[in-house]
Amino acid sequence: MGIYYRMNKTILHAAFKNTLPVLMGYVAMGFAAGVLLADTLRSPWSPLWAVLTSVTSISGALQFILTGWIRLATPLPEVALLTVCLNLRYAMYGLSFIEKFRGLPWKQKFYLIWAMTDETYALEVECRAPQGANPISYCLAVAMLDHAYWVIGVTAGALVGGILPFDNRGIDFAMTALFLVILTDQCRERANRWPALIGAAAAVASRLIFPVDRMLIPAMLFMLAVFLAARKRLDPERNAKSGEARS
Amino acid sequence: MSVSLNYLIGLVLVTGGVTIALRAFPFAVFGAGGRPPAFIGYLGKVLAPGAIAMLVVFCFCSYFKDRPFAESWALPEAVAGITVVLLQLWRRNPLLSIMVGTVIYMLMIQH
Repeated sequence: MGIYYRMNKTILHAAFKNTLPVLMGYVAMGFAAGVLLADTLRSPWSPLWAVLTSVTSISGALQFILTGWIRLATPLPEVALLTVCLNLRYAMYGLSFIEKFRGLPWKQKFYLIWAMTDETYALEVECRAPQGANPISYCLAVAMLDHAYWVIGVTAGALVGGILPFDNRGIDFAMTALFLVILTDQCRERANRWPALIGAAAAVASRLIFPVDRMLIPAMLFMLAVFLAARKRLDPERNAKSGEARS
Repeated sequence: MSVSLNYLIGLVLVTGGVTIALRAFPFAVFGAGGRPPAFIGYLGKVLAPGAIAMLVVFCFCSYFKDRPFAESWALPEAVAGITVVLLQLWRRNPLLSIMVGTVIYMLMIQH
C-alpha cells in the first residue's frame, strides 16, 4: 500500500489532466476489445476474464490478439513466442528508466515496470510533473490511472457487449494525436530531431517490407542498428563535449 | 463456444508472465549492480524520440489495415494529424491539440 500514501492531490490532478487523452483512447479501444472477448467466450463469466486479462497483460494489441488465440485455441508455447515478438519493444522502453528507477522500493519499482505501456512510457518520458513534485510519484499516478482506464474499458466492453450508445468511430485517433503531441514537444530539442527522423524512417522502411501487424519488431531492429552505427554523430553527450571544446 | 478453464488460466499466466518478463528484462540485466555501459545511456536517450516517431508511423499505417488507402487517400489522417502538430506548436496545450484533432478526425470519417 506504500505507493498510495505518497500521492497528493496536486500530483493526481496533474496526472489525471495529462492522461485524459489516454483515458479516451484506452476506454474506447478497451471497450472494443471487451466486446470482442465477450463475443468469443459467450459466457456469463466473460467480465471476469476481461478483468483478469486486462489487469495482467496491460497491452492493447495483445488484448485484441488474445481473443483470436482463444478462438483458435492456439497452443500455449506458440502464444508465449508470439507474445515475445509482439511485446519485445517493452524490453527497449525500460532502458530509458534504469537510472531513474534505481534505488526505489521494490513495490514501486515492480509496479512502474509492470504497468509500462506505450502510452504510459511516453508520458513518463515526457514527465510533466507539477513543479516541486516528486517525479516518481507522478509516474506512479500516471501508471495507475492508465492501468485503471484500460481495465475499466475492457471490463465495460465485456459487460455491455454490442450495445453502443453513440457512434464512436475514430475516437482511437486520440492515441495517435497523443504520440504526435509528444513527438512535437520532443522535437523542440535539437538533439532529438535526428533520432526521431531515424525512428520514423525505420518504421516506413519496415512497413514497405512487412504487413502492419508485423512491422514493429523489424522497425525496432532497423532503428537500433542505425543508432548503434551512428553513435558518434548522434550521442548528445559527446556532441555537447565537442561543442564546448570548440567554443 | 466452450473453452476449457485450464486453457484460459494458462493463457492469462503465459501472456501476463511474458509481458512482465519483457518489461523487467533491462532492469534485471543492467539494473542490479554497477552502472550500465555508457552506450546504454545513449540508447535510452535516442530511443525515446525514435520509438515515439516509430509509433506515430505505426498508428498511421494501422488505419489502412482494414480499409484501402485509395478510399480516402489518407485525407482525414493528414488533416487531423497536421492540425494536432500545428496546434501544439502554437498553443503548447496537449489536451487542446489532442481533442481538436480527434474531433476533426471523427467528423471526417463519420460524415
